[in-house]
Amino acid sequence: MSRPGRDDSPDRLYTLTGGRSRSGSDAFDLVTLVVTESEPAPGMQSEHAAILRMCRFPTAVVEIAAELGLPVTVVRILLADLHDTGRISARHPRSAHRLPDPDILEQVLVGLRNL
Amino acid sequence: MTASPSPVRPSALALLITAVVTGAFCTVAVVTAEPGSRAVLGWSLGIAAALLSAGAYAVTHSVLRNRVLRERLAALNTQISAQEANAARRSADAVRLDAAHAADRKALIAAHTAELRRAESARAAALAATANAAGRMQALATGMLADLRDMEHRHADEEVLGDLLHLDHRTAQAGRLADSIAVLTGARSGRRWARPIVMESILRGAMGRIGGYQRVRLHSTSDAAVAGHAAEGVMHALAELLDNAANFSPPTAEVHVYVEEVPAGVIITVEDSGLVMSDVQLRRAEQAVSGRLSDLAGLSGTRLGLAVVGRLARKHGLTVSFRPSARGGTGALMLLPHELVTHVAATPAAAPLAPALDGPQDLLPPEPATAESGTPAASATRAPARGGEPETAHEPAAEPASGTARPATATAGSASGSTAGSASGSATGSATGSETSGEFPQFGESGLPKRKRGRALAAAHPEGPDAPAAPARATTAASDAAARFSSFRQAVRANSPTPEGNSE
Repeated sequence: MSRPGRDDSPDRLYTLTGGRSRSGSDAFDLVTLVVTESEPAPGMQSEHAAILRMCRFPTAVVEIAAELGLPVTVVRILLADLHDTGRISARHPRSAHRLPDPDILEQVLVGLRNL
Repeated sequence: MTASPSPVRPSALALLITAVVTGAFCTVAVVTAEPGSRAVLGWSLGIAAALLSAGAYAVTHSVLRNRVLRERLAALNTQISAQEANAARRSADAVRLDAAHAADRKALIAAHTAELRRAESARAAALAATANAAGRMQALATGMLADLRDMEHRHADEEVLGDLLHLDHRTAQAGRLADSIAVLTGARSGRRWARPIVMESILRGAMGRIGGYQRVRLHSTSDAAVAGHAAEGVMHALAELLDNAANFSPPTAEVHVYVEEVPAGVIITVEDSGLVMSDVQLRRAEQAVSGRLSDLAGLSGTRLGLAVVGRLARKHGLTVSFRPSARGGTGALMLLPHELVTHVAATPAAAPLAPALDGPQDLLPPEPATAESGTPAASATRAPARGGEPETAHEPAAEPASGTARPATATAGSASGSTAGSASGSATGSATGSETSGEFPQFGESGLPKRKRGRALAAAHPEGPDAPAAPARATTAASDAAARFSSFRQAVRANSPTPEGNSE
């Protein structure tokens, strides 16, 4: 990955974000779930379109970053762009997340100690 | 007769003297004669005197004339001999001079040839050195860009990332300069792309290499791609055109790039709203980009761009032309011949893969039921992976996978398309995510699943034979995961205070 490979992409990261390196919004942290609000439009930046397709069901920011193979910071900028135009909505996982049974967690802990 | 004294005058003098003498003699004779014979005597003596005078004149004249002619002959003879001598001398001179000249010429030609040869070899050496240096610069720039990209992935801090992006941009520009020099010196181009590059990447790759890339606006809906062998050249040529457009327009004006597909190929138009080129400039620019001028003599030192475009155009068969732009500036048109253009079938992964995979497995078609429950995808999917040591868990857990581990079976079930529980929904997300690339997630040293770079891209490539094989592998992968998780649970439950009816 450190050496230039034949399969690298020719576009540089700053061209994806138009030179920005900060998103300017705190709406997205690593585990924020992103949901698509509208279909990708033709002529859209391909990353935006990919995010919109990917987030038809809620997807975490880290997942998006990993799928796109882009740094999380860059993805957050892209997401902020989409968020500003209302194409996606963000929710924090706590609302939709149910913590696992404490009993199971305890058992896992015991098991780990016994390893 | 002109140069020598005229013989007429002395002849006339002789005539006069003879006439006077004979006239006097005749007069005396007539006077002294008897009167009867005086008339006859007078006439005859007169006629004799006249004849005598005429004879005297003729003799004198011819004698004098003879002398004059002889003198002239002598003069002419001397003149001729002098001229002959002169001519001989001259011809001797000429021969001598000829020889000298020939020697001179030979020496001169030899000197010139030597000079030319030296200049030629100096030029070749300079070119080779420059090409070599440019090639190394290219390699350095390419390596630096790769390193920078690596670092950009490593550092999440916005400040650091901003600095890295800045450096990235600078390095890309330096790389373009090295590329330009390499192209002009005839070295091979910097990078080869193994696969067709989509138009969007071509445009962005080109605009990333110029200083004012933030002023460039791309307008492209084309899904065309440029063949890998020509992609670098096209990007470079386009970067030079963009750089021209950006440099020769006001620093706040935007440069617009349009892509249009025509039967002959793809036309990329770069329009600025800067200076309008005059006819002469247009002609000169057209000539520069035509690629007909192959020597470096026409380079102006500061403006390499169009010459580079010309070289690249000739190499890849591009056609570049200029025209006044509707935006008030200059428009540059670059036609990519259709040999260079391919169409990657539908860049999104969804279209080709959706029918091949089971519904909920695919990333893209959303299942309404899982929309809500799919949220813990990230955490839950990691759980089985983290729990089982991949190597050891595989064999022993293969059989009991179905009965023992409930969450694991749930994941398997969901993966095959059953009703989606909360955990299952998450599992589908992870399993399918890795399945689109056609292989099971790899595990790093930490035991966490490692994502493969460029997987989305691999998913975008509809490899025919792989697609139908995907569903089968998907289910096996899911059952593998189940097996691994069950083995983990077995390991845990073995010593746990409340074992619940395991296989033990």
